[in-house]
Amino acid sequence: MTISISGLSVSRSGRTLLHPTTVNIEPGERVGLVGASGSGKSTLGHALVDALRRQGHSVAHVPQSPDEALDPLRSMGFHWAEAESALDLAPDVARQKALFEALRIDGGDLRKRPWGWSRGMQQRFVIAMGLIGTPDLLVMDEPTSALDPVVAARSMDLLDRYLADRQTALLLITHDLGLAARRMSRLMVMHEGRIVEDAPTAALLAAPGTAAAKALCLHRNWLALPC
Amino acid sequence: MLSVENIAVRYRGVTVLQDISLTLAAGRTLAVVGESGAGKSTLIGTILGLVRCSAGQVTWNKAPVRRCRPALVMQEPRSAFNPRVSLRRSVTEPLIAERRPVDENQMAALCRSLDIPTDLLERRPSAVSIGQAQRIGILRALIAAPPLVLFDEPLSALDAVTQKHTARMIADLQAKEGFAALIVTHDLGYAAAYADHIAVLRAGRIEELTTAQAFIDAPQTAYGRELRDAAFALGALERVA
Amino acid sequence: MIQLFLGLVLRAVVVLTGTALATFSLLWHAPGDPALAIALARFNAVVSTEVVDQIRVEAGLDAGFWTAFKAWILPLLGGDFGSSSVTGRAVWPDLVTAMSYTAPLALSGLLIGVAVSVPLAILAARRPGGWLDRSAVAVASLGAAIPTYWLGLLLILLFAVQLGWLPAMGARTPVHIILPALTLGLGVAASLTRILRSGILEARGQPFLPAIRRRGVASRAIERAHVAPHAAIPVVTVFGLELAFLLEGAVIIEVIFARPGLGTFLVTAIETRDFPKVQAVVILAALLFVTVNLVIDLIYRALDPRIGSRDA
Repeated sequence: MTISISGLSVSRSGRTLLHPTTVNIEPGERVGLVGASGSGKSTLGHALVDALRRQGHSVAHVPQSPDEALDPLRSMGFHWAEAESALDLAPDVARQKALFEALRIDGGDLRKRPWGWSRGMQQRFVIAMGLIGTPDLLVMDEPTSALDPVVAARSMDLLDRYLADRQTALLLITHDLGLAARRMSRLMVMHEGRIVEDAPTAALLAAPGTAAAKALCLHRNWLALPC
Repeated sequence: MLSVENIAVRYRGVTVLQDISLTLAAGRTLAVVGESGAGKSTLIGTILGLVRCSAGQVTWNKAPVRRCRPALVMQEPRSAFNPRVSLRRSVTEPLIAERRPVDENQMAALCRSLDIPTDLLERRPSAVSIGQAQRIGILRALIAAPPLVLFDEPLSALDAVTQKHTARMIADLQAKEGFAALIVTHDLGYAAAYADHIAVLRAGRIEELTTAQAFIDAPQTAYGRELRDAAFALGALERVA
Repeated sequence: MIQLFLGLVLRAVVVLTGTALATFSLLWHAPGDPALAIALARFNAVVSTEVVDQIRVEAGLDAGFWTAFKAWILPLLGGDFGSSSVTGRAVWPDLVTAMSYTAPLALSGLLIGVAVSVPLAILAARRPGGWLDRSAVAVASLGAAIPTYWLGLLLILLFAVQLGWLPAMGARTPVHIILPALTLGLGVAASLTRILRSGILEARGQPFLPAIRRRGVASRAIERAHVAPHAAIPVVTVFGLELAFLLEGAVIIEVIFARPGLGTFLVTAIETRDFPKVQAVVILAALLFVTVNLVIDLIYRALDPRIGSRDA
């Protein structure tokens, strides 16, 4: 289902964190939401998820760190069952097995609590939980910054492979244009609570229009090496 | 020259570091990369003289390393400062420790290089941005002109653009001041762009130690290849036609 | 796990031995002649020095400290609490009778405490800083500041003297337990309310809750499955302290309300220098403490296995 939302705004104690914003995302699209820290990316991500849920969309949100997603006192199995019942779904062993295999966490012991798993596996578990209801949109907030790069790259690759032939769209929130440009087909640049640019990745990289986008493009990678 | 000779660290029967040997000359940069738990922080501890080695020794110009008073730049810039005193007070602490007066000219020059407006130093840590706090952390590390500076994940709390600005400033200051820099990072992109040599630390051992260029071109170990491929997969490094 | 359990048991043994030695030594070195006190209590009259000396030998007071300590502790290890220096009766049956009065008092005090504090804390935490919250905190702080004996006297004045609704003295009927249990329970409620309230508020600030809410889990389910266990941890932690409060409170309250029980038993025993009785109570209390703290430790680890775990 196409995601279309307009007039999304957030203000807290008199300060506007997010100016009225319109977001349209096609099924299966890969969109990067990029900006400096404090530009309002995460605020938009949270507001988008909450608003879409109110509209009746199925959406999932994966926070930056597994610590922000899992209760350390509850077992992994409990979290999974809780997520299923929140979606009014009956427990389905086959669905769980398929998701666990796709994200390579089928070796994890569900009786253990989160800290009994490695952080990389915890994050892939959170991603798998988000995919239970085959959502229209999966929002990932800085999925790589709390993990070792090898682990983070592996999570992203496994997720890409799983989503390849599915309708679930992906919104990747990150401060790192290098990451977003490498993996997303469309980029939205955020600056001071506004989306200041929204274009296909190649177009944006070739001709950034605003100062914010130019700064991001200029410092996109550490090194660009010849092939 | 920093010389780490065959050090090992064992703690409660667990080997944290083993057979670590490396050298680092003045003005040079060595990046230590590896996953969390590989022993990166322990290595920094041994070089600062805070962690006792079970074997081997760490020296600077043949003298025990502590005597050269190596400086440290920490990962979390704000929590590296005493929240109750002004930043100026925290910044000058290394000088107070050595009973040296503050050289205002040198201080002003460092502030200019690090893009720190001097009035910022009168504030408390909570009243500056993370990027500013990290630059002030670098200022504190350099104020006593140490010959060796250790950086523990100096950029990972910063956003991508600020990371690149800060890395540039560190490199420019190094060219001017001539200190040896040992940078612990998980970001191979940063290491590849700024280090002369890269050491891959894994499970307490150095798996690979080579020039940055050689490492990016052809890592010698499976884990080294994984690290490099991840840096490309996450867009830290890029290949262009 | 076994190693952990053994460690906890070892700790318990050390505490018990220490308590036994400390009480015995305190009683032994207390000023005044114990033999004289016993004689006075036994005959309720001034007696000749020969009688006092005879009692001294009888009660083992003429031997050295260590001999006397051994004479007491060795039978105790076999479960023998000895017999009263004053009446000569075995301590254990009297102790059981005393406990049969104190246990219901302590239990009902605890029940009242929980029954008052849990709903009050939940109500207070519903809107932190609201008038309900502020008055609950004020009342709880006041309650914690008021000494038990004063609260007891206040309740007696109000319900027994002014209103004449409830009996105050003795333990003849089950109704007699209401006022003392209320005194004890309100004290427990005061401290539990504050701990539970801050526990709930702290649990509500846990960083993973927004994500669970975004997963679509209903807020009632979140409160039950995630907030409650986190809020329970500090309560379990202070439960050992609550037990101390209950015992200490029961002793004072029994004296105020002229109820038979451990408190009265202990106070009389101290007055008459009845060593075996005093030590029996102290050892029993220590044993209770050690057991409860052992159980708390185990519950704690079941609730939050990060405690005492190497991976944490």
